[in-house]
Amino acid sequence: MVQYNFKKITVVPNGKDFIDIILSRTQRKTPTVFHKGYAISRLRQFYMRKVKYTQQNFHEKLSTIIDEFPRLDDIHPFYGDLRHVLYNKDHYKLALGQINTARNLISKIAKDYVKLLKYGDSLYRCKSLKVAALGRMCTVIKRIGPSLAYLEQIRQHMARLPSIDPNTRTILICGYPNVGKSSFMNKITRADVDVQPYAFTTKSLSTAVLFFLDISGSCGYSIAQQAALFHSIKSLSMNKPLIIVCNKTDLQPLDGISEEDRKLVMEMKAEAMKTVIGQGSEPTNEEGVLLTVSTLTEDGVIAVKNAACERLLNQRVEFHVALPKPRDQKERPACIPQAVLETKAKQAAEKEKRKTEKDLEDENGGAGVYSASLRKNYILSNDEWKEDIMPEILDGHNVYDFIDPDILLRLEELEREEGLRQEEEEGDDFEMDGQELSPEEQEALAEIRKKKSMLIQQHRMKKSTAESRPVLSSLGLDPSLAINRARSKSRGRKRERSVDRREGDDGDAMDIDDNQASKKLRLRSTSWSRSRSRPPSEVVPGEGLKDSAQKVNAIKLAKKSVLKRNKNARRGEADRVIPTLKPKHLFSGKRSIGKTQRR
Amino acid sequence: MISDIVNVIFCLGNCVLLVNLRRMRLEKCWFCSSTVYPGHGIQFVRNDAKIFHFCRSKCHKNFKMKRNPRKVKWTKAYRRLHGKDMTQDSTFEFERKRNRPERYDRNLAENTLKAIKKIDKIRSDRASDHIKNRLKTGKVQRQKEARKQLELGIHLVKAPLALAQDSSLCLPKIKVNVSQAQTEENQPMEE
Repeated sequence: MVQYNFKKITVVPNGKDFIDIILSRTQRKTPTVFHKGYAISRLRQFYMRKVKYTQQNFHEKLSTIIDEFPRLDDIHPFYGDLRHVLYNKDHYKLALGQINTARNLISKIAKDYVKLLKYGDSLYRCKSLKVAALGRMCTVIKRIGPSLAYLEQIRQHMARLPSIDPNTRTILICGYPNVGKSSFMNKITRADVDVQPYAFTTKSLSTAVLFFLDISGSCGYSIAQQAALFHSIKSLSMNKPLIIVCNKTDLQPLDGISEEDRKLVMEMKAEAMKTVIGQGSEPTNEEGVLLTVSTLTEDGVIAVKNAACERLLNQRVEFHVALPKPRDQKERPACIPQAVLETKAKQAAEKEKRKTEKDLEDENGGAGVYSASLRKNYILSNDEWKEDIMPEILDGHNVYDFIDPDILLRLEELEREEGLRQEEEEGDDFEMDGQELSPEEQEALAEIRKKKSMLIQQHRMKKSTAESRPVLSSLGLDPSLAINRARSKSRGRKRERSVDRREGDDGDAMDIDDNQASKKLRLRSTSWSRSRSRPPSEVVPGEGLKDSAQKVNAIKLAKKSVLKRNKNARRGEADRVIPTLKPKHLFSGKRSIGKTQRR
Repeated sequence: MISDIVNVIFCLGNCVLLVNLRRMRLEKCWFCSSTVYPGHGIQFVRNDAKIFHFCRSKCHKNFKMKRNPRKVKWTKAYRRLHGKDMTQDSTFEFERKRNRPERYDRNLAENTLKAIKKIDKIRSDRASDHIKNRLKTGKVQRQKEARKQLELGIHLVKAPLALAQDSSLCLPKIKVNVSQAQTEENQPMEE
C-alpha cells in the first residue's frame, strides 16, 4: 500500500545542477593526487575508478527519481485520474521514460570506456578517455534537462496536494462559488477552511454528494445556471447518495421562489431521488433528499449533516450469506461428528478443573517463597527415588562416566583378575628376596665403602700440586742460587750477549766478551739502561735447547700454537651474542645530506 | 541420570518454562593430564572449536609457548609415552564418557559408587606394581654389584686371619672382656 504522501519525493535537480553535483562529488570522493611515473596498471585503475564512480552516482540518482515518482497504474484510480487531470498522463510517462533511457545510456557509456581504458598505454591517453567518458555522460543529462524540469514542477505541485485517503467515506460539498459551502463547513466543523479550487473525480470514492444551491441568487448565479451546473456534473455522482441543499433561506425562503425555479429544483430533487432508490429497497422520506439551510442563522445545518452521514453509513456494503431456500418443513441442522463434540466438552471441563503450577506457586507464598519441584513428573521405576540427590563427583572421578548397567559383573571379573595377578606378584617377590644382603653383610659393605672413600681422600691429599709441594726454605735449603738463576733468565746482561759462546771457555769468553762489550758500551751512551734484550735466537744455558737453530724452531712452533685470533670485540670464539639487535643510531634519525632509503 | 544439558519443559499456566540443568564435570588438563576441578584453571577455545582445559597457569603458559607435552618430563603424557607409567589396563575401560543419558536407578547409583572405590584401589595398585617392576631390574643389578663389592673389599675391614676363622662376609666380632667385679659395683649406683 503506497502511502499517499507525495511530500516525501526527493527534489529533482535541473540538468546543470545535476551535472555539477555529480562531477564535484566524483572529484571529492576519488583520489586526485597522481604522478606520471606510476605503473601503468595503477594509472588505468585510477581513471577507471573515476569513470565508474561517476556512472554509479548518475545511476543512483536517476533510479531514485524513477522509483519515487509514482506510476500511474499502481496507485488508486482516484489519484491516477487526478494526476491525469492535472498533468498529462502521457507527458508524465514520457518524462520518466526519458530518465530511464538516460540511465541506461550512461551505463553503456561507462562500460565502453572502461573497456577502452583497460588498454590505455599512457597517462595522457587514459586521461583523455576519462574526459571523453564523463563528457558524454554529461551531454546525456543535458539532453534530458527539460524532462527533469517538468518532473520537478510536478513534484512541487503534488507536494502541495492535500493527502486524501481514498478509502474512507467522504462527503463532497459542491456548488458555485459564493453559494455558502465554506460557511457551511465552518458551521459544522468549527474549523477554518481554506477554499481550494480542486478538480476531482468521484467515480471511485465512497462519497455522499451535497449539492449547494443558492436560493436567493445572491452568489451572482441564477437558479437556472446552478441547475445547469448540477445537470452537467450529475453524471459524475451516479449511484451515490445525493442531497440537494438549498442555502441562504434567510434571504429567500424555498416557498417564495418563482415557478420556473421551483420546477428546476424539483427536477434536481427527482434526480436525487433516483440515487436513493438505487441504493436499497427501503423507501426514504423526501426530507432526506432536499433540505433547506441557512448558514447565517444556523437553521437546519445539523439536519443536513446528519442526513448526509446517515446516507453514507447506509451505503456500506453488506455480505450476503447465501442460504438455500427451504423446500419443505424438514429440519436439517449442521452435522457435527460426536467425537468432536465430546472433545470440545472435555476441553472445556479441563480448562476449568486443571490446577497449574502457577496456581500452586501462588498458593504457597508466591514467586520468591515457593520453588516448584522440577522432579514431580519424573518417570522412574520407583517413585521414592524422585527426590534423590546423586553425587556427580567422587574421589576425583566423574560418576556419570562409570555408570553401566553391567557394572557389577564387570567388577567381579576385574576382582578375579586382580586376585590372580596378586598371586603371581607374590611369587615373583619371593624369588627376589633371596638375593638381598643380610644386615650384617650390609654393615660390612658400609664399612668397606667408608674405608674406600677414606683411602681416596688420603690419596688425594698425598698428590703433589704446586701448593702441596714443600718450599725450599721449609726444607732447610738456601734458595738464593735458585732465585738468581730464575731472575737471570728474565733480565738481559751485556756479558752474555755474544752468540757463539762455548761452555769450556767460560772465563776467557767472558773476558773477551767483556772487552768487546765494553768497546760497544763506550760507543753508546752510558745513560741508557744497562739491560739489553737478547737476540731471540741466542741460547741461554739451562733452557734445555741444543743450539740456536733449535731455539728458533721452538720459538716458531710456540708462536704458531698461540695464534692470536681476531676476536672482533668478542669475549671468545663461542661468543655469538649481539648485545643490541637494533641499535638506535642505525635505525633511526634523518641524514643531514642524502637519502635514507636503506638502512 | 541427566547428562550435560537437559531442557526440562513443563507448563505453568499458559507459559512454557525452559530450565537448563547443566551438571559439573571434572576435566583433564590438556598439558599435564591432572584433573581440573570446577572453579580452577582456564579453558581455551580455538577457532576450530577445539577446547583445551588447563589446570593452572603453568600448563597454560607452556601451551602458549607451543611446547609439546610429550617432551616435557613432568607431564603424564611424557610418562606414559616413555613407559614410566601404566598405559593399557582394563581398569581404564570402566571410565568412559557416555553421551546418552540413563534413567535414574537408585540401586545402580549405589553400586556404581561402591564400584568406583574398588576400581580406584585396583588401578592404583596396578600402577604402583608397574613402577616397581620397572625399577626391579635396576634393583637387581645394584644388589649384584653390592655383593661383588662386598666380596672383593672384605679384606679392607677384616683381617685374613679372622676371615679364615669365620668365613662369612661380615664384620669381625669384637670380643670384650667384662669383669664380674665391675658389674657388681655398678649395681648399687643404678639403683
